[in-house]
Amino acid sequence: MSIPTTHSTPRQVEIGRLLRASTTGCVIGCRVSQLDVPSFGCMVSIPLQPGYQVFGLIYDIHIDDDGLVRQLVTAEGVPEDVIQDNRQNRNVPIEMSVLLVGYQQGSRVYHMIPPRPPLTLDAIYICSDEETCRFCSAGHFGYFRHVLRAQDLPVGELLAAHMQNVARSQRSHGNPGWVEQATQELITLLRDDYPTLMAVLGALGDADLQYAE
Amino acid sequence: MPVNFQSIQAQIREMGQKAELRERDLLAKLRKAREVLYTYAVETEAVRQRVAQAATAAKSLRCALPSGEPLTTQLPTPPLRCEYVLLAADGSQVVPSHHDAVEFGVINVGAVRFLPGQPYAPREYIYSELLFHDKLYTADGYLLTEEVVALKRDVAERGTLADLARQEKLPVVTLTDGQLEIYGESKRSKEFDREIERYKNVLNDLAAQGVITAGYVSKPRSDLAVRMLDLMLLERLEMAGNERMRQLGGLTDATLFAGFRDIPPLLAPGERSAVFGIYSKPNTPFDGALAVHYFYLNVGTAHRPVLARVEVPAWVAADPALIDLLQHALVAQCQALGSQPYPYALHRSHEVAVVSLEEKKQLENMIMIELRRQGAQVDSLSEKQFHKELQHRTRYP
Repeated sequence: MSIPTTHSTPRQVEIGRLLRASTTGCVIGCRVSQLDVPSFGCMVSIPLQPGYQVFGLIYDIHIDDDGLVRQLVTAEGVPEDVIQDNRQNRNVPIEMSVLLVGYQQGSRVYHMIPPRPPLTLDAIYICSDEETCRFCSAGHFGYFRHVLRAQDLPVGELLAAHMQNVARSQRSHGNPGWVEQATQELITLLRDDYPTLMAVLGALGDADLQYAE
Repeated sequence: MPVNFQSIQAQIREMGQKAELRERDLLAKLRKAREVLYTYAVETEAVRQRVAQAATAAKSLRCALPSGEPLTTQLPTPPLRCEYVLLAADGSQVVPSHHDAVEFGVINVGAVRFLPGQPYAPREYIYSELLFHDKLYTADGYLLTEEVVALKRDVAERGTLADLARQEKLPVVTLTDGQLEIYGESKRSKEFDREIERYKNVLNDLAAQGVITAGYVSKPRSDLAVRMLDLMLLERLEMAGNERMRQLGGLTDATLFAGFRDIPPLLAPGERSAVFGIYSKPNTPFDGALAVHYFYLNVGTAHRPVLARVEVPAWVAADPALIDLLQHALVAQCQALGSQPYPYALHRSHEVAVVSLEEKKQLENMIMIELRRQGAQVDSLSEKQFHKELQHRTRYP
């Protein structure tokens, strides 16, 4: 899968830095002010060294509580400065879990688990439309198997959110047939797993994806 | 070895059996105290005279002193009349121990700055000081005691507040947790006296800046107002200072103002008591503008009164506008924490300041690494500490 190098691509928004990782996934920490950009199903990239970057999908964003927050919710009319204090100063970083789905080595994209995980405090970026299209169009949807293997995740919802994002990018890059191809591939991959197939198709239906005419 | 539950169970039963008796005794004392309080409510001068007379008989007398407001004063939370800045600070310390591999201490102060009523997150500040080598020892060569390190922390807390207050243009309210007054030092040392002087200098600095300074005491146990009422019940002045002759012994000020069982609270939610001074033995380090005054504040609800004791220096106590602003600020802060009222800013400064055991270990490691890097000899834990830190028994698998 040879694709043009992404080194010249202007870096997109940094959404946080890596807290912990394995070869299959990682957890990112971010400030509240960085939280408006990433969303469930977003594709992110973690450049590790020139010519090597890892790609992943955000599958969870969690806001933790603690004793003080639990106490505050019982109070009548929490003052705005206290709310801001708890959002901006306390309980940070906000954690996002990412499923690693492939990597780029040199000019090639692999839909395989990366050979080594990113390291603590590596910066994480939202993929640009161009990067997203390049990654998702490379090969033949090999990265779907990482998603489908992750039984603990809301697989249908994650795929639907991901495809909603990618479909928009692909359409703007002149590839409106991507959604249909991706859906066909999912049907093929899940042909022996009827319950998961139904869950995925149900979620895709709700995502209101626009298929090519 | 665990607690000997079997042996202690009988004592717990005995404790329960005596509880009713103690409650009855407390109720009787509370009724008596309230009676005296109402009797002398406006006769504050007579009370002051009585305290002065009793002081001649009991040299170690320590009790409340009316400051002019009626003893039964109940003042509701005043409305806010101006914008202000709220600064709160709390401290945490690592006390040096010769059982550790390296001897060091840490004074850590956390502070927060709020602009009440504004939709902005407060600012957090943290100041850390490492105590090592000569800073760990007194002039006589003794390792700093826990008491002196705690006093150093108190000085650092208020010093931090004074420094932060200097940058403000609006009126400033500063809060620290616990008493403003420092007393009870059993073995005074030169270091202790020096720190007391520094502490007074910081309080003077805050006074010079016109910064409202207050110490907030949660669940207060003091009984200075009750002791003052006790003096009014004395048949002979010579009895003053004799604990066994006290008629109201065991009753706290908080119970006096909060009520108990069928005796209703004297203070409604948000109300404060009169401001009291403190009569204390002569030569106390806190006199003049720094003489400690206090009032009680009900930060609870109609169903659950929660009494806090608020200590302020004399110059704050003397200005009703400053007391009003302080009362308003404290009630607003406590309301933020709902059913467990406590000033939010103080809790947050505690969160910022606290040094966990893990952090202490991390600091210890950093120091040891640096010492080794410099080729210095690093000692080891004491054998006693080594055995205390052994891993506890684990379960298989």
